[in-house]
Amino acid sequence: MRPFRRRGALRHARLQQVLAIAAIATAVALPVVLLSVGGGVSQHELSDLENAGYQIVVSASGEHGISDGHALTQRILAIPSVAAVSPVLSVAVDLFAGTGGATPLLAEGVIPGQFLATLGAAEADLFPRPLPLGDPTDAIHFANGSYDGPATEDVLVSSPLADADHIAVGTTVLLSPGANRSLGVSYTVTGIFGVAPTALGPTGAFAAVLPLSDLQLLTGYATGSGGTLIDAVDSIEVSLAGAAETEPAVLDQVRAEIQALVPYYGVSSLDQEAQQLQQASSVLTGFYLALSSVALIVGLLFLALVLVRRVESGRRAIGIRRALGLPRSWIAGGILEDGLVLAAAGSVIGVAGGYLIVAGLARWGSAAVAEAARLAVFVPSTLALLAAAVVVLSLVASAAAVRAALRVEITEALR
Amino acid sequence: MTATVGAPRIELSQVERTYGRAGAEQVHALRGVDLTIAPGEYLSVEGPSGCGKTTLLNLLGLLDAPTSGEVRWDGRSVGSRTDRERARLRLTGVGFIFQRFYLLPTLTAFENVELPMRALRTPRAERQRRATALLEEVGLGPRQRAYPHQLSGGEEQRVAVARALANRPGLLLADEPTGELDSQNATGVMELLDRVRADRDATLVVVTHNPEVAARAGRHLALLDGRISADRRGA
Repeated sequence: MRPFRRRGALRHARLQQVLAIAAIATAVALPVVLLSVGGGVSQHELSDLENAGYQIVVSASGEHGISDGHALTQRILAIPSVAAVSPVLSVAVDLFAGTGGATPLLAEGVIPGQFLATLGAAEADLFPRPLPLGDPTDAIHFANGSYDGPATEDVLVSSPLADADHIAVGTTVLLSPGANRSLGVSYTVTGIFGVAPTALGPTGAFAAVLPLSDLQLLTGYATGSGGTLIDAVDSIEVSLAGAAETEPAVLDQVRAEIQALVPYYGVSSLDQEAQQLQQASSVLTGFYLALSSVALIVGLLFLALVLVRRVESGRRAIGIRRALGLPRSWIAGGILEDGLVLAAAGSVIGVAGGYLIVAGLARWGSAAVAEAARLAVFVPSTLALLAAAVVVLSLVASAAAVRAALRVEITEALR
Repeated sequence: MTATVGAPRIELSQVERTYGRAGAEQVHALRGVDLTIAPGEYLSVEGPSGCGKTTLLNLLGLLDAPTSGEVRWDGRSVGSRTDRERARLRLTGVGFIFQRFYLLPTLTAFENVELPMRALRTPRAERQRRATALLEEVGLGPRQRAYPHQLSGGEEQRVAVARALANRPGLLLADEPTGELDSQNATGVMELLDRVRADRDATLVVVTHNPEVAARAGRHLALLDGRISADRRGA
C-alpha cells in the first residue's frame, strides 16, 4: 500500500511541476510573441521610411483626398532643391486576361517620369528602366485637365500577377473599376515588375502600375459630378536634391515652402514620420510590456503557490533535514534551486513556444496576421533579458516558500 | 573510526519544558530534570507514554530548547549557541535514529546515508567510500540503490543507523528504534547499535518501552510525569 501511495504523491508533485512550468512558459511566450511581432512590424516600417527615395510627403485626410494632382506636381517641381515629385493614386480594380475571370489587384496611377526618381534604390531595381508607359510626363493624355489627349493604354503588372494569369509583355488585358468585364478598358502590358517578398504580402502581390490620368479616368477620380475637375491623388512624394537631401534645416525650409502652397494638406518629412512611428512603437512596446508583466506576475504567483505547497507537503522532509543538522541555507538553497529550475525550464519552453506560435501565425494566420508574423524579429538580447528577468523574479517568487520552510519547527514536523 | 566531535559530557540542570499557553491547556513535558551523561555511556530511558522521553531526547539532541533550566554540552550552555551552531553540532556530533526511520523518500539508501556528509562538504570520493562501507556494515551493501519504499522495515531502520553514523558522531540518540520492527529485526538492529557504539566509543541513549532493549544498557533512567523517577546503573 505504501509504495503505491508514495508513487501517487510523486505523480502529484510532478503534475504540480508540469503546471508551474506551463504557467511560466505561457507567461514568457506572450511577450515573446508580442515583442517579436510588434518590434518586427515597427522595424519594417522604419526600414521602409529609411529606404524611401523621397524625403517629403504631401497627404490629406480621407481617401484620394488631394485635388489637382498634376498641377500641384508642377508647382512643387518649380521649388528650388526639388528633384522629383510623384503623385500616386492607389485604387483596387479588376483585371481580365483573355477569357478568364476577374482578378482583383491594386493599381497605382503615377507620372512615369517622376515615379522611379522617388523610389528607394532596392524598390527602383524591381522596375524596368525607363518605365515603359509611353508618355513620361502624363501631360499628353491629361491635356490640362480635359483628359482629351490620346491615352497610351500601357500598363505594367507585377510578376506574381503575370505568373498567375499567364500574362507576358504584349498581352492585352482589360482593367475594370469593378468585377464587370463590360466596364473594362483595354490595355497593353508593356512591362513586368518584381515584388519585394517582405514589402508586399499575398494580398498586395497582385499589382499594376499605369499612367495617373488613365487610372483617374478609369476609376472616376478625374472629374466629379457635372464634369468638375478633381484630378485626385492619395499622396505626393517629393524627392530633394543637393543640401536639402541631407541637411535638416534646408529640408525643413523646403517643407515649409510646400506647406505654403498647400496649407490645408499635411506636409511632413520622413524624419518626422519616423519619429512619430518610433513614438507610436514605444507606446505599443510599453503596452506589450504591461500586458506581459501581468502574464508574468500570474505565472510567478503560480510558481510561488506551487513552491509553498511543496513546502507544506514536504514539512516532514524539511524537518528530517534540519534534524540531521543541515543548515538553513541548505534548505533555502534547495527551494531556490527548485524555483530556478522550474523558471528556467518555463523560460526555455516559453521562448521556443513563442517562436513556434509566431511561425504558426505566419503560416496559418489570416492574411494580415500572417504578414505581420512574417516580419517578426527575434532579438537574442531581448529574449535573454526576458529569460533573465523571469529567473530573477522566480527568486522573489521562491521567497514565500523559503520563509515557510525556515519556519518549520523540527519537533512539530517529526511528530 | 573515531567521532568527528568526541562523545560529549551532557548536563541538564533544572530543565523544564512546557508546551502550549499558560493555563489548563499547558503541558509540562519535563519538570525540573537534573541529569548528567558521561561520554561513552549507554543509557536507556523508559517510562509510560507521555512521560517526556522523546522531549528529553530532543533536548539532548539539540532539536528543542528548554523552557527553563540549562542544557550544557561539554560545560557550555546550549542556550548560548546560535541556531547555526546548534545545527552544526547536530550535523557533526549527533546521530539520530527515529522510531519511524524518517528516511527521505526521494533519495536512495546510498543517498540518504551520503546526505549528512554532503552537508558537511566531505569530498565526493570520501563520501562514496564511507557511505558504501556503512551500508555494507549494516548488511545492505547490495541494496544501496533501493529507495525507502523498496525496503522492508528492518532494512529501513538499518539505513537510518548507517545515516546516523555517517559523520561519526559522539552521541547516538535512538527513539524507540525497534518500535516498528518484528522481534527478529529488532534484535538485529540492537545488536548493530551495540556493536557500533562499542566500536566508536560513542554515547548511546535509547528511548524504549522494550525491556529487552533496555536491558542492554549500562544505565537505566525511568521517567514519570516529566520527572526522573529512577536512575540506576548495571545491566
